[in-house]
Amino acid sequence: MRKKLSPLKTLEYVLLLILAAVFIFPMLWMVVSSMKPEADVYLNLSSLKAFLPSLNPSEWFTTYKEVIKRFSIGTYLLNSITYGLTFAFGSIIINSLAGFAFAKINFAGKKFIFGVLLALLIVPVEAVLIPQFTIVNSLGLVNSRVAVVLPAMASAFNIYLFRNFFIAIPEEIIESAKLDGAGIIKIFFRIMLPMSKPAVATVGVLSFISSWNDYIWPLMVLTDRSKFSMQVAITTINTTQPVYINQVMAVLTISTIPLIIVYIVAQKYILQGLGGSGTGLK
Amino acid sequence: MLKSKKVKENIMGYGFLAPALILLIIFLIIPVCMVAYYGFTDYYLLTPDARQFVGLENFKRLFSDPIFIKSIWNTTKFVIWIIPTQLGAALGMALIVNKQRKGNMFFKVAFFAPVVMSLVVISILWLYLLNPNEGLINTLLNKIGIASQPFLTSPKQAMYTIVFVSAWQGAGYQMLLFLGGMQNIPGDVYEAAEIDGFTKFEQFWYITMPLLKPTAIFVLLTTLISAFKLIVQPMVMTQGGPMNSTMTMVYYIYQTGFTDRMAGYSSSIALIFTTMIGLITIVQRKLVKEDEDV
Repeated sequence: MRKKLSPLKTLEYVLLLILAAVFIFPMLWMVVSSMKPEADVYLNLSSLKAFLPSLNPSEWFTTYKEVIKRFSIGTYLLNSITYGLTFAFGSIIINSLAGFAFAKINFAGKKFIFGVLLALLIVPVEAVLIPQFTIVNSLGLVNSRVAVVLPAMASAFNIYLFRNFFIAIPEEIIESAKLDGAGIIKIFFRIMLPMSKPAVATVGVLSFISSWNDYIWPLMVLTDRSKFSMQVAITTINTTQPVYINQVMAVLTISTIPLIIVYIVAQKYILQGLGGSGTGLK
Repeated sequence: MLKSKKVKENIMGYGFLAPALILLIIFLIIPVCMVAYYGFTDYYLLTPDARQFVGLENFKRLFSDPIFIKSIWNTTKFVIWIIPTQLGAALGMALIVNKQRKGNMFFKVAFFAPVVMSLVVISILWLYLLNPNEGLINTLLNKIGIASQPFLTSPKQAMYTIVFVSAWQGAGYQMLLFLGGMQNIPGDVYEAAEIDGFTKFEQFWYITMPLLKPTAIFVLLTTLISAFKLIVQPMVMTQGGPMNSTMTMVYYIYQTGFTDRMAGYSSSIALIFTTMIGLITIVQRKLVKEDEDV
């Protein structure tokens, strides 16, 4: 088999491997640097050892033990997971309810409100951070966990996505359920939501990821360390003296692992969210 | 009978809409109105009662504020560089992965790997990798005979470094979008072209590119808008420095409004920023519509 590789093919593979290395090696360096003593991180830089963990496997998790002892990593992780799940669950419920109203109910003013919604799609959230903060402040929610998840929960984009999904569900299904005596709420939870599992999964997964990665907003509203999300905690740890590079890399690795799991488990929904046809903006 | 049905529909409609509507009003619509109003006041966060309407004063001040001018220039520079870099890389990688070859899955996963790391994580990771004294990148450069580079610590290089790091992180995602578009192109189109004697490059230029246009437009638009919103990377890596060379518009909104508590001044920047984004979005939608009508 090896004989079949022409020189050109071999060259192609070599170039591709170099390219792949550009994308993988920084991440690899992050992981292996967390698995050796700090002095070794600097010592190894100019040799291939930079991309190997400590040669002594018993040292691999020493840094992790140190960093977990020094900072309340468990709390930060739990905070981020809680924020992420709450945000995802809330996003699904709130936006699907609204999407359903736009898709299947003829209420007065629907066209106008939908127009406003489409206009809101343009507004960059980054531009309203300060008034959002003053509102959270006047509601007395600064430094509360609610303030982290609530402001971005209703999303014009997700409502639009759900609406498009619900519109495709035939009216007859709703009519026949009504004839069977089902109320509108039952129809929504028993028929509409189960029939739009892909939309539910997509909104859930993307909301979790965006909540996990969010940095600026939790940084603004949280002052109490015990409520910090992982992302906010990372930058704090990175500036808490003395800074040990292997400990920082351990924290970066810990904060990335949950996302790797999410991407692996939910890969098919992640692309649907933004790239899928029929959900794109026009 | 008919009337009561209408009333019922209204109650149901607004009932379903209520949670989202209330949140949108409190956290988006009112803030937009506040920005529109604050932009014309001298609102200082700590003395809300002393707030006064000052007309266009903030805007006059803005256009003689060197940091603001710089932030517009920096943001534009980032957008101009990130678009070809990131989209070019994404398209190239999609073409690579789209070919039948052994081990393709590995390359696909490798190119996508940085996407799973958050912006904060990659910013800190690259901060260490790019350290001017003992960073891995400079060590490697020295090995192949290139002098150490200052990267993020140089006003000349900092923004380009952020462009590189951002493109490195995001390209894998758009690679998958391009790949999806390419795989929607039926294979027999290429077979027919092959028979007609088209070279590989001609196939790419006359078949892949035109048929990929809807995907390309979508990717271009979303990247463009999110590029304008750059803040996390400079905030974590350079704090806008050195010498404001990485201060972006959104970062300046944050800094004037939140750090310096000048909500009025910050809002006027936010107004300009929103107008810019709004104009770009409207132009985009027009372009997409025209494209669809053809």
